[in-house]
Amino acid sequence: MNKNKHLLLWSSLGTLVLLAMAAVQENYLKDWRAIQASMHTEAGPTEVRLRQIVAPRLRVTDRCVTCHVGMAPGEQGATGHVLAAAHPPVVHDPAEFGCTVCHGGQGRATEKADAHGDVRFWPTPMIPTRYAHAGCGSCHTHVQVPNRTVLNLGRNLFERHDCLACHRLDGRGGTLRPGRAGGMEGPDLSNAGARGFDQGWYAKHLRRARQRDDIAWKAGFAALDAPDLELIETFLATRVGAPRLIEAKALFHTLGCRGCHKIGGAGGDEGPDLARVGQKDPGQLDFRGVRGEHTLANWFSEHLRDPARVVPGSKMPRLGLDDEEIELVTFYLLSLRRTDAPEAFWPKDRIGVTRLGRREFGADGATLYSTFCAACHGASGQGRRFPGAPPMPAIGNADFLAVAPDAFLRSTIESGRPGRRMPAFGEASGGLRRDEVDAIVAHLRREAGVSEPETPHDTPRRVTADPARGKPLYERHCAGCHGPGGEGADAPALNHPVLQAAATDDYLVETIGRGRRGTPMHGFRQPSTMHPVLAPGDIEAIVAYLRTWEKSR
Amino acid sequence: MTPTTARARSRLDPEPVPRRDFLGIASLVSFVAAMLFATIGMLRLPKAAVLGSPAKKFRVTLPDALAEGEAFVPPGRSVAVFRDREGLYAISLVCTHLGCIVKPGPSGFDCPCHGSQFAADGSVVRGPAPKALPWHAVTVRGRECVVDEGAVVPAGTKVSA
Amino acid sequence: MSTSAPRKRPLRAFLSDLVRSPRRIRDAAWRVGLPTSDRARSTFVFGNVFLHLHSVRTHRWSLRWSTTWGLGLAATAAFLVVLASGVLLMFYYKPYPDVAYDSIKDIHFIVPTGRFIRNIHRWSANVMVVAVLAHMARVFYTAAYRRPREFNWLVGMALLVVTLGLSFTGYLLPWDQLAYWAITIGANIAQSPRELTDAFGITPWFDPGGLQRELLLGSDIVGEEALIRFYVLHVMILPLALGALMAVHFWRIRKDGGMTRPWDADQRLGPGHDVYPVFTEAPQKTYQLAAIVRGTSPAVGRGPEHTVPSMPHLFYAELGVLMLTVFACLALSMAWDAPLKELANPAVPENPAKAPWYFLGLQELVAYSAFMGGVGIPAIVLLGLGLIPFLDREEAGTGVWFGGPGGGRLALASLGFGLGAVLAVEAFAIRFGWLREWFPDVPQLAITAVNPGTLLAAVYGAYSLWVVKRYGWARAGATALFTCFLSGFVVLTVIGTYFRGPNWTFYWSPADWPGH
Repeated sequence: MNKNKHLLLWSSLGTLVLLAMAAVQENYLKDWRAIQASMHTEAGPTEVRLRQIVAPRLRVTDRCVTCHVGMAPGEQGATGHVLAAAHPPVVHDPAEFGCTVCHGGQGRATEKADAHGDVRFWPTPMIPTRYAHAGCGSCHTHVQVPNRTVLNLGRNLFERHDCLACHRLDGRGGTLRPGRAGGMEGPDLSNAGARGFDQGWYAKHLRRARQRDDIAWKAGFAALDAPDLELIETFLATRVGAPRLIEAKALFHTLGCRGCHKIGGAGGDEGPDLARVGQKDPGQLDFRGVRGEHTLANWFSEHLRDPARVVPGSKMPRLGLDDEEIELVTFYLLSLRRTDAPEAFWPKDRIGVTRLGRREFGADGATLYSTFCAACHGASGQGRRFPGAPPMPAIGNADFLAVAPDAFLRSTIESGRPGRRMPAFGEASGGLRRDEVDAIVAHLRREAGVSEPETPHDTPRRVTADPARGKPLYERHCAGCHGPGGEGADAPALNHPVLQAAATDDYLVETIGRGRRGTPMHGFRQPSTMHPVLAPGDIEAIVAYLRTWEKSR
Repeated sequence: MTPTTARARSRLDPEPVPRRDFLGIASLVSFVAAMLFATIGMLRLPKAAVLGSPAKKFRVTLPDALAEGEAFVPPGRSVAVFRDREGLYAISLVCTHLGCIVKPGPSGFDCPCHGSQFAADGSVVRGPAPKALPWHAVTVRGRECVVDEGAVVPAGTKVSA
Repeated sequence: MSTSAPRKRPLRAFLSDLVRSPRRIRDAAWRVGLPTSDRARSTFVFGNVFLHLHSVRTHRWSLRWSTTWGLGLAATAAFLVVLASGVLLMFYYKPYPDVAYDSIKDIHFIVPTGRFIRNIHRWSANVMVVAVLAHMARVFYTAAYRRPREFNWLVGMALLVVTLGLSFTGYLLPWDQLAYWAITIGANIAQSPRELTDAFGITPWFDPGGLQRELLLGSDIVGEEALIRFYVLHVMILPLALGALMAVHFWRIRKDGGMTRPWDADQRLGPGHDVYPVFTEAPQKTYQLAAIVRGTSPAVGRGPEHTVPSMPHLFYAELGVLMLTVFACLALSMAWDAPLKELANPAVPENPAKAPWYFLGLQELVAYSAFMGGVGIPAIVLLGLGLIPFLDREEAGTGVWFGGPGGGRLALASLGFGLGAVLAVEAFAIRFGWLREWFPDVPQLAITAVNPGTLLAAVYGAYSLWVVKRYGWARAGATALFTCFLSGFVVLTVIGTYFRGPNWTFYWSPADWPGH
């Protein structure tokens, strides 16, 4: 009897103690209570309560403002704690959009680690502050971003023409109006690309400069020539309030990553589609080859530094990027989020890209070339060689462009070399449109200074020589690099059906005869230490032999 | 009443139950029948007449560069579509053991739940899976093809494009 | 005074009635007054709807801690805690995919005491399962299932099944990865009779597996239909079933003569010094003792001197166990949060996808044959357990721990054999694989028939038969079989819980798992 009374007594007392502990924990020990208790406004201490932003249509319930009280709607002006600070001015009102839409993290949580997503089992942790603008990529798909060279040309022109004298841009420049008028001399252009700007601005500026007696206008604004004007407008169109993100995207369009990776349907297919790579769940990633912290950002950086170390067996080569470039590419990758917010919330740019066929990359040939081709063929088309892989052809080579007809270049870009590394970039598979392909071809010709091929290509197949005579010649002079069956080794494959279909006999004859200066391909019309001169008949015999590999004809 | 049964009964003994209480039997039988019928009706309810799952047939467009033996998994579907020289074919990715989603790899399919492994044609190599991954019907319509997850075809059925 | 005559001072009488009404309300509800005498105590027990399942007096044997260790009570207490916390959770839980997950997050972060209540719900459910299993083992090892308690043993097994069903259905509700994949696997286990029907090629005509799965999920995928079905089962159908079965179970304890005790319980107890006088006043009615139940009543032919009034002796014990259970649930809830993983993602299986721990033994067997591990072996075990009281018609050792022939030594030997067998079979299968790894073309039927699960069951069965033959007692065989199955269950559960990693591969420690 007494045993049972003791049992009841002690278990009840124990239960009471546990309940008291739970009550204290619930009502006094929550971090947010302490944070809010240390804050006060002019009217008195801040009320201690749960705060949240609810946006049902975005399916957002964000309790971040329970600690970040200064960012809660209508609670500005609190002091006493670092978290009382208000949100820096942004276009999107946090009261309307909440926090997690841009920053990631777990909106429903009220404890720091959980809310910031630094816990297991939360797939979308917060984007680190230094990449904060990557959050724009949740909804935005910034359009017409050129490569770095073109972007910098525009920027330099903008600065050289003293636009910063009147206009403010990304926190620089701008002049206050003298006297009572107040405000800036010219409007702030930091968001010009997002808001859109008057297409007739140049004419207006010109008119004003002529009409005004104002010294500043007279001296400050000079006429621009058409290419400069276009570059400046291209540059202005990228000003969306996230300069570093644009810088990152421009770098991405400079390095040629889309040669292997698709985003939004445009790009090669050697590597995985990157359209939503910024939403990868760090909990699902393998960090065994990653040095440093286990975050998505660090995984990206480490992967860019040495792909095969992070993903064993990765086909991606080491790109040899410097730290700043790695930082920027990581930034851009983090911005590839495209959350599935309801379409009513999509901004103009995303609708433009997804529905109206606008492009994320600039439309100029230089940008198109660097976006899609530079990773393999080099920034200036000089060709590239990654360790352990066959070299990529030098397509900017003047000798090549002198013999290759445009049709050959176009069909090569559009159809690729199935089975080899060159992907098909035609609209059906790689997403490039005909005018874009043309722009790339034109860019190659402009850079090489070869405006059109030198030899006529009226008859695609004209060689009638005896293939049997060509065979030993091929085996002696060509097979070493191109492979005994033309399957390609250190040099491109010659038996490839797309090459066979696209190349004319003239192209082949001329390539063998001239060679390509700056590459291991020697011209066989000139003697060299490596080989004798081949007679025109010999060359044609080799071409005839090459043609025996052409299957369907 | 025969004389043998007509023996003296104590006042306390209950009334004997009549051997053929027709009314009693009829009422009980109809009670049981009614309850039985009601139960059958109620049991019928939980088995849905039509399942609320999305259509089993769907269209896909294969990427041009799909290598031979490389799996293409249409988003949101648990079926892998392949293309080789003989044509197109689709293999289910639902493990025949306990319904986990198997992962297509270069040499076949691996199930993460209980370690079943399947060969490239879906047949069981090891693990507890009781049967091969089923092949689904594919029909080709121009550039795109229609996969029917509801229709199982014999392994090895390839449709030329 | 005639009651019908009008009162002289009606207002005054009314006021005095009004003043007295609180006391009268109390008297109406509580007819006995304070239970100071034995008689009042008795009335207190049988006059109360909640207490009247107890007998008025309790044998001192039943009150010894070692008689039951309070395990059945602990299971009941845990159920009450689960019930209370579950009802509270229903205020905030929303049974719809995605929203369900968000509502669990809300319960975790902003619902006042929500996290604590959810932890309590989770932990007391686990405590309940442990208590139910331990209670079952206690009943077995004290041979308390014997006549006239066979039926209550069956009711107890039904309670075990419903308890596990409640845990299983509750598992899906958070709609996280853990839930989704555990239920996907569970639903496919329900479908696993197809393994047999497929082997015979009769699935198109006779498909009990497919029907079971469809009834469970209401669809062919784990989706919103499945969630609402599991919810209805979890909060309505199964709790009602459990409540009804519990009522029968408790009623039967009383009707079957209370706790089992050995025939010489009185001698063993010796003279009791805390036994109250039998009656402190002349009995008001005589049929209190004459309320005889069928079977051998414990009181027949014996003096009542070894019984004590249930009020308060039994109730102190019951309340003590209740509060101890509550304390345990609370302490566990303070120490460990209930798990919640990522939102369910039907495209990416959880790896490894593990069911609740008490199913991991079965999942270990399922990793060889879905049908045998998920349906066959459990059915064999339940059948075997259910048959025990009908095969063991002996009487020696009833009510004594490890009573009967061989006693504790047999149980110990069987434990050794059971552990040895299961460890040997598992070690072999883990090291060398099973049929399919040796003969890739082996028909599925062969694997269904011969796999570690069936092999183990056969070995255990053969061992028990040998024990029956050796001791010449059915009870000895039962002890051997029960102990073997228990050790098999424990070992398989431990392996499934701690030593299985991604792809259900054996790992010595989770630290060796690839990834993460």
